[in-house]
Formats: sequence, C-alpha cells, structure tokens
Amino acid sequence: MAVDSDHKSVGGVETLAANPLASDPELMNDFILESREHLTAIELQLLTLDQDPSNSEAIHAIFRGFHTIKGMAGFLDLDAVRDLAHEVETVLDLARNSKLAITPAIIDRILESKDYLNTWMAELEGLLHSGKTPVPPEAGGLLEAIRSLIGGGAVIGGAVGSGAVPQLPPTLPANVAANVAGNLQAEAPPSGLLELARELAAPASQDSPAEVAAAENPETAKAAETQRVGARSIKVETAKLDYLVDMVGEMVIAQSLVRHDPDLAIGLKPRLARNLSQLTRITDDVQRTAMSMRMIPIGQLFQKTSRLVRDLSRKAGKQVELVLAGEETELDRNIVEELADPLMHMVRNSVDHGVETPEERERAGKSQSAHVTLKAGHQAGYIVIEVSDDGRGLPREKILKKAREKNLIAGDAEPSESEIFALIFHPGFSTAEKITDVSGRGVGMDVVRKQLQKLRGRIDVISKAGQGTTFLLKLPLTLAIIDGLVVGVGDQRYVVPLFAVREMMKPAEEAISTIHGRQEMAMVRGNLLPLIRLHQRFHVQPRHELPWESLLIVSESGGKQFCLMVDELIGKQEVVIKSLGDSMRHIAGVAGGAILGDGRVGLILDPEGLFGANRGE
Amino acid sequence: MQAVLTAPPNASHQKADHRSGKYISFRLGSEEFAIQVLQVREIVGIQEITAVPQTPHGVKGVINLRGKVIPVVDLRLRFGLEELEYSQRTCIIVVQIGGDGGRVLVGLIVDAVSEVLNLQASDIEDAPDFGPGVALPYLLGMAKIKGKVKILLDIQAALAGGELAALSSQEIAGLGF
Repeated sequence: MAVDSDHKSVGGVETLAANPLASDPELMNDFILESREHLTAIELQLLTLDQDPSNSEAIHAIFRGFHTIKGMAGFLDLDAVRDLAHEVETVLDLARNSKLAITPAIIDRILESKDYLNTWMAELEGLLHSGKTPVPPEAGGLLEAIRSLIGGGAVIGGAVGSGAVPQLPPTLPANVAANVAGNLQAEAPPSGLLELARELAAPASQDSPAEVAAAENPETAKAAETQRVGARSIKVETAKLDYLVDMVGEMVIAQSLVRHDPDLAIGLKPRLARNLSQLTRITDDVQRTAMSMRMIPIGQLFQKTSRLVRDLSRKAGKQVELVLAGEETELDRNIVEELADPLMHMVRNSVDHGVETPEERERAGKSQSAHVTLKAGHQAGYIVIEVSDDGRGLPREKILKKAREKNLIAGDAEPSESEIFALIFHPGFSTAEKITDVSGRGVGMDVVRKQLQKLRGRIDVISKAGQGTTFLLKLPLTLAIIDGLVVGVGDQRYVVPLFAVREMMKPAEEAISTIHGRQEMAMVRGNLLPLIRLHQRFHVQPRHELPWESLLIVSESGGKQFCLMVDELIGKQEVVIKSLGDSMRHIAGVAGGAILGDGRVGLILDPEGLFGANRGE
Repeated sequence: MQAVLTAPPNASHQKADHRSGKYISFRLGSEEFAIQVLQVREIVGIQEITAVPQTPHGVKGVINLRGKVIPVVDLRLRFGLEELEYSQRTCIIVVQIGGDGGRVLVGLIVDAVSEVLNLQASDIEDAPDFGPGVALPYLLGMAKIKGKVKILLDIQAALAGGELAALSSQEIAGLGF
C-alpha cells in the first residue's frame, strides 16, 4: 500500500463522512487502478469503433467499461465520475440497442469523457499519494454535450442548463480526503466491498455479447478466452521486482563463484559436478524468468499513438491510417515508459511534416489516405522500432540551406545524404516554415535523440523524396543488463559497453602520431582518431605506457569515433548495472558499477563522458 | 587531537542521556573511537576496493556488499592521519547514514575493531572546548572506560562537514553522501 501515515495532514476539513468506503485508501487505489485499465481499454475500443462504427462488440465493451466505473464510483461517492459515466452509458445503451447510430461526433464526446475521467483518476491519485486535495477537473459542459447526443441532438439536455454539469459538490473531495486520512490507520479495510460493487455492476453485462456470441463464433470465443487468461495475473510493486532481479543477479554470481572455486575443482566428484551443473541450469532459468517479469509488450505504447494520429490528422485535414506491426514484441517496462515521448514526437512529426494533404497526394499520384507505420521487432539482441510514413520525405535542399545559414556545415562542403539527414537531430533545427502547435519549433528531434542515447539506443533516418521517411530506432532489450567487454588497466578492471565498441586492435608503432605534442592520434583504417589513455584519465598505474604495447578499443560516441587505450582485454560479460549512489552519480566517464564474475566491482565506462571530457566539455 | 586527553573535567551531563547506550569502538592510529551500534549495519573484513576517479579525499572507492555497490571511506585519510597499508586487522564498518536520497550505506575503513561498549550516561563527558574557531560537530563526547579515553563520533557529521579541516592541515570537503 502506497499510503502511509504521512498523509494524516490531509484532514482538518469538516468531515461529512458520508461513505466509509470512500475513505479507505486501499479501496481507492484499487478503484484508480481498475478504472485506468478500463479507460485504456475504452480508448482502444473507441478507436476501433471509429474505423468501423457498426462494430457492436466494441460498443458493448465500451459500455461495460463505463458501467463498471460507474458502479465503483457510486460506491465511493464520486458523484461527478458516476454521473458522467452514467450519461455515457445511456448513450451507449441506445447505440447497442441500435437506437442511435455512432457518429464521429459521438466518438469525440466519449473520448473527451474518457479524458475527463482520466484527469479525475490523476487527481484522486494525487490525493492518495501526496495528500493533495483533488481539484475537480473542468468538465466544460461535457455532460450536457453528451445528453444532447441522445435523440440526435434533441433538446432533452437543454433543460439541464448550461455550464459544467458534472458538478461535484465542492466539499466532496475534501470529505474524501479527510476520510482517507482519517482511516489510514483503520484496521482491516472492508475488503471485498469493491468486489461487491463490481458484482452489482456485473448483471448489466450479463447480456454481454461475448458469451452469447461465443456459441456461434469461435473467434469471439477465443477472444473471451484470452480475456480470461489475461485476468490471471497479479500486480507487483516495481520496487519489489527490482529487488528480486538484483538478488537473482547476486545468486548467479554466487553460484558462479562456487562453481569455479579452485578448492572445489581439485576434488570434483561426478556427483558434485552433476549437482553443480543442475544448480547452474536452475539459476539461469530463474534469472531469465526474473528478467522477463519486467518485460511488457510494446503494443500498449503503439496504441497510445493511435489517438494522437486521429486527432492530428483531423486537425490538419489529412487522411492518415496508422498501421501497427510487431506489437507483441516485449521490452523492459522502464524503456517502454521512457520511449513514450520520443515516439509521440516522431509520430507527430510524421503526420505534421511528412504526410501531405489529400489533394497534394492525389497530384503526386498517391492514394489520398497516407500511412504511418509503427513496427517493432527483434534484431540481433536488440529491439528495432520503425516509425515510417509514405509522405513527401525529408526536404534535402531545405535542410542543406538551413544548415548553411546556421553554419552547421561549411558553405562549400558537399555532405552525403545521410549526413544531411542527420542534421535534423541538431538542437534547434527545424525547417518548418510556419510553427504549428504540434511541431516546427525545432525542439523535437534532438530531444528524441538524447532520450534514445539515455536508453543506450540509437536512431537513424532514411528518407526518399516523394516516397516517405523512416526512423529506425535501435534499443537494448533491457536497461538493467548490458553486454560489456571487461578490460584491465593496471590492477583495475573496467567494463566497456559493447554497443559503443567498434573494434579492437594492437596498433603498429607508426600508426600513432601526436598533434602539437599533446593530443595523441591513432591511424585506424585510414582515419585519424583521437587516442584517450584510460589510465591517465582515471589516474591508475598502467602496465604498459606505450600504445603499441597496449590494446586500443575503437569506440563510438555521438557519431564520433575515438580510441581508448587499455592494458588488456579480459573477457566479455553480461553485467547488471548498479548505481554508485548519489555521491558518485556525476563522475565523468563512469556510467555505473557492475559486479564482475569474481564478486569485485568493476566500473562501467561511459564513452560519451570520456570523450566529452576529452574535448573539454 | 592529543589535546583531548587533557580535557578539563568540567563537562556537563545534559547531553549525556541520549548518548548512553551501546557503542562499537575501533582504533585509528593510537586513538580509540566509538560509534553508536544503532548506526552500524555490519562489519566486514577488508576486501578488494575498486577505485573510482574524481572522488573527494578519503573516498577509496566502492565495494560489493552482497550485490549492493557501496562507497568506502578511509577514516585515517578523513581525519588527516597518514595512510596505512591494510592488514589482516583492517576492517570495514558499514554504517547507515541519512543522505539526500534517503538512507545510504557507507563503509568506513578502520585499523581494527576493538569491542562493543555499554556506556552509561555517567561514563560520557562533553568534548572539551578547544577555543574559538575550532568547532568539532562530529564529536559526540568522550567516554572514560577503564582509564582509557574513547572518542565518541557522530559519524553522519564526520562524513558530511567541511569542519574536519580543523583537525588536519588540508581542507577537506564534505563527501556528499
């Protein structure tokens, strides 16, 4: 339970204590979580409905969602939520009984209602976690608008009057707050009451088509089946999960320490050897399972963009169809969360810049409706996400002109295609002639790239004039583990993230040169790359002072290559990234710590920081 | 620091009550220090320390404490004593202190851990006044046990403040824990 005694301070408001249920933080938390799930499902179904207004399955699903929320809100005395859900439900009831045709206007209203309820959930959560008194969201005549939908906009709702109808008695949130606060220490929360609410809400969904249709339509039956399977999961606090993953990592190390213990190796009997390898198998399995517990399918993220595409394209008068593929691809939930904003940015860019108006497309001999595709898949241990559109492509000349204006490239230089397109990731770069409220401020793509670098991923862009633009995002499967090269310098060992390593080499003596007697350079495949001595940077006594006796690791950071000089390569290892704590968070060149195979801590290098510091940044 | 041995016996006992309790005493050079048991999480033998660049003076690096990476501080360096080669007797006392981001564990390297003391309020005296300009906020007090003086440390203050400079020739910044 996330609520603790800190929230005692919420009280102090006069207690009407109308409903003891509303005052139980646990119930409230359940309500918020469950409502959010319903709201997400509702949005999804609404977008389906938008494509196919006659989809009765979707109408039923939306109806059920609102109905359940209404039931629970009623129990918790959240009148505003209940009333709105009730009105939406009424509209949907007419729709599912074929008394009302679903129009885009209706879908818009229901989407707005959904947003409204989402705001409510955020407010309630604020109350629950920080004791913030909820501010009832502005409903802006939403209830009235919904009422007016009934009977094809007849005056039914007119009598209700103007203004925000879901008027929450202003005292209510205060009450709820006070109650929540007052009952924090209450023993034995009335568990099962929310379930009761749910059950009471259930009869309405008795006539749910899933069961009825199941008999006739095997496909729906299967859908119902998956729904049931999906319900068989539990919610776990992420902190607990992280701790478990940490401990499993330790277990794997401990196991490997035992297994490779020299004392044990001397008199290793077959039985012991068998048992040890059995242990290894089990720990490997446990580790895999623990890791997979943090993985979630990327589909949820993709679906969030569908609403965006719909709203944007409508606003811009464009026809855009969103195509999703590989939604089942799983990746670390932390990455999914961090990826949300960059993805939104890119989709926004695609719709706003990439896609042409229907007329323009017609003239270019393309179908009026454009496609924006989101595709995810695995590729050699990485997740690759593709965001592409079949619009006009990046304006090569315009970018070049802008870049020259901004002195990003020399006036006479003839950069390659990919170099030109890479310019769009430059901070403050935008070629949009007019700034719309969605894009054109030039704060998009550089933020996207930064975010991706933070996630240890990379982004590339491919574009063909008149045919469209594709952004390729390459991301690691998880943030918790990286593949690294363990290298030695003196008696210290460091982990170089594999994603930053291009190649390794022992240079010839004549490949090393010095500029101004200070900056050393190494000639690698015809390119002069700066040489960074790791021992100098970290003040460690090295075993070799001469570059041609040492090992050079050709690394890449922000598109620039450099050589890192170390004593030797020790091996390749998958390591769990650990924070060094607050006091050592900002050490240039160090990304974190990792427990190596022998239980010692090795520092994980941050090539960006190493190279950046070299340039005096 | 030798001055403490000739402390005037005029210390009051007002602060003594919250200072009584169990202490773990340890040795640094010729002096005996003690910290409250409640702050100590565990004591481990000296082990391989991974050096971390750009850390404040006294921070030796990080160690692996059962899967957690924690910083270790050499108290000798922190108190301006000369560095000593680690031996079999060298210990790391893992203490828990309140940092910016909640509670953090820090390892303290000491010459040797001596014993657990049960200090009564009557055993404890206030630290002597060293005169103006010498503030030693990390001294909780002094304890006289069996004719020997132990310096009671507020370890949180010892790791945090820049006032340590008073005891050593160099300016020592807070460690930022």
